[in-house]
Amino acid sequence: MNNPYEAIPATILKTMDETPNIRTFVLKPEQEIPFLAGQFVELTVPGFGEAPFTPSSSHFKRDTFEMTIMKVGRATGALFDLAPGDTVGVRGPFGNPYPLEKFAGKDIYIVGGGVGLAPLRALFLALTHEIDKYKHIYLRYGARTPNDIVYRHLLPEWEKLPKVDIDLSVDVSDDKWMKKVGVVTCLMDEIPCDEKTSIAVVCGPPIMMKFVNQRLLDVGFQGDNIYLSMETNMSCGVGQCRHCRLGPYLTCKDGPVLTWAQIKDIENPFV
Amino acid sequence: MSTASRDQWLSKLLERFAVYVPVEREKQVHWHRLEPADLGSGADTITPALRRIRASEPVKSFMFNPRQQVSAFPDKLEPAESKTRVLLGVKNCDLVPLKVHDEILGEGEFKDPFYLAQRENTILVAADCPVPEESCFCNLLGLTPYAGEGADAVLSVSDGEYLLEVGEKGRQLIDAAPDLFQKAGEGDAAVVKRGEERKAAVAALSRINPKQWNPDLPAAVAAKRKDESFWQKHAEKCVECFGCLMGCPTCYCFLLYDQAREKGLDRTRVWDACYLAAYARVGGGANPRAEFVKRFANRFICKFSDFKTDHGMFACSGCGRCFKACMGKIDIRKVLGEL
Repeated sequence: MNNPYEAIPATILKTMDETPNIRTFVLKPEQEIPFLAGQFVELTVPGFGEAPFTPSSSHFKRDTFEMTIMKVGRATGALFDLAPGDTVGVRGPFGNPYPLEKFAGKDIYIVGGGVGLAPLRALFLALTHEIDKYKHIYLRYGARTPNDIVYRHLLPEWEKLPKVDIDLSVDVSDDKWMKKVGVVTCLMDEIPCDEKTSIAVVCGPPIMMKFVNQRLLDVGFQGDNIYLSMETNMSCGVGQCRHCRLGPYLTCKDGPVLTWAQIKDIENPFV
Repeated sequence: MSTASRDQWLSKLLERFAVYVPVEREKQVHWHRLEPADLGSGADTITPALRRIRASEPVKSFMFNPRQQVSAFPDKLEPAESKTRVLLGVKNCDLVPLKVHDEILGEGEFKDPFYLAQRENTILVAADCPVPEESCFCNLLGLTPYAGEGADAVLSVSDGEYLLEVGEKGRQLIDAAPDLFQKAGEGDAAVVKRGEERKAAVAALSRINPKQWNPDLPAAVAAKRKDESFWQKHAEKCVECFGCLMGCPTCYCFLLYDQAREKGLDRTRVWDACYLAAYARVGGGANPRAEFVKRFANRFICKFSDFKTDHGMFACSGCGRCFKACMGKIDIRKVLGEL
């Protein structure tokens, strides 16, 4: 019988600093992790514990995969002390992927905040890999300052892709910033797609999710077309330990992405 | 089977199994691993304890251990081989909650091999509760003070007669010493007596807990979700010792935690409690239940509303351990009785 608590060893091949406290890790697991965009894995930092993260690379290439992680606590602090060649552990994939079959033929309006762009990148790459299946991809992304933007080196490449439209904002600008200044909702004054039928996908800090979701509803997006990455404390990842319970859901099993239609009756879902 | 033959039977069982029996210590019932030296001493300590209510330790702890190593990264870890265990005297309030553990840890896409190994390696022998005590309230949960289903065998003890009813897995208990047993019929004195005692126990529970709860308890509890003043008056008596949750036969929340070894790590599954401040706290520090009153309410909402949705039953079997453990004497019966 498979042991769901047992991690597969994975070697850190490379690390890339995205911002002063966000780093991308390229991992090579001993066995392929068959993830799809939106699913997460539990990452073990040997001796320091485990935490859930969503791969940020394309699920069309899985012999290695990437995760972009912000240093916030004990496990991530220890992770940032590791270097290429070091070993971590990976369990998964867990949870549900983005239902790409429901996205087919539609405009996809993606809104990210801060390190929340990491899981959205896996989605973005999955969508653009088969771009003929979708109408347009709109990516709206906000960061605190220009220095806090993740994937800075990739964004210019993404902007050149066909059927892709990207806009950025920062809360606080510097001399060189030429785009919008303000929280990410300032990019949502005009919605370039049909609100009634388009898919919205949101990931970012809870407060950002709350306001972006409200804005999407105000302009007419349908609750079951708004996909939100919910942040809860997860321990087991496999729907047993009950830590991640959110309303009637176990975020690890029923999520981690839930639609607004699913969570609208939950008291204060964005904590 | 007569009480006199009982020790011969237990000796036979000890040849094949690890046998656990209830014993009384300082007025409480506890589980005790039976040793050959415990038998034949003349004093029958087992029968009185079998006729008492549930032991202090919940039966789930035999399968869903309070601490269980579940991984030894990067090495593989398999469940340890062990002798089959016989738990003699499992009460219905411990038996019914095991259904949930079986569902969560033993079914579905991800199964817990450590739970399953111990679960499959355990023979559950239920025993009636002829004398319910003041802390018992299984009747409010719709349960009986004797086993309905889920046991491998059912043992009833009265007037010096042991009556054993076995299912497929429990059959080996009779096979261990077939000569000591006689087949019982409906009209036998022991069977009649068992029926009378069961009726009397049900009546006693109705006297202890005469008032039924709100018939739509899940909705009534959920309606109080945001009413902090309702929960606060009970929550303020709590000293946050978590004894209620550690003693609960139904609670199954756990935490995986890692300890470094020279090379790699040991991962242990430990019981967790939703009353702990860090229970729902996320990596960045945000906590949806930072205030204790929210965690207190959450326990009741989980047990009496969410659980019904998730598992079709309440996360409570009325065993009364939470009340017995509680220093503030918070009584589920009283809290829910107000709804």
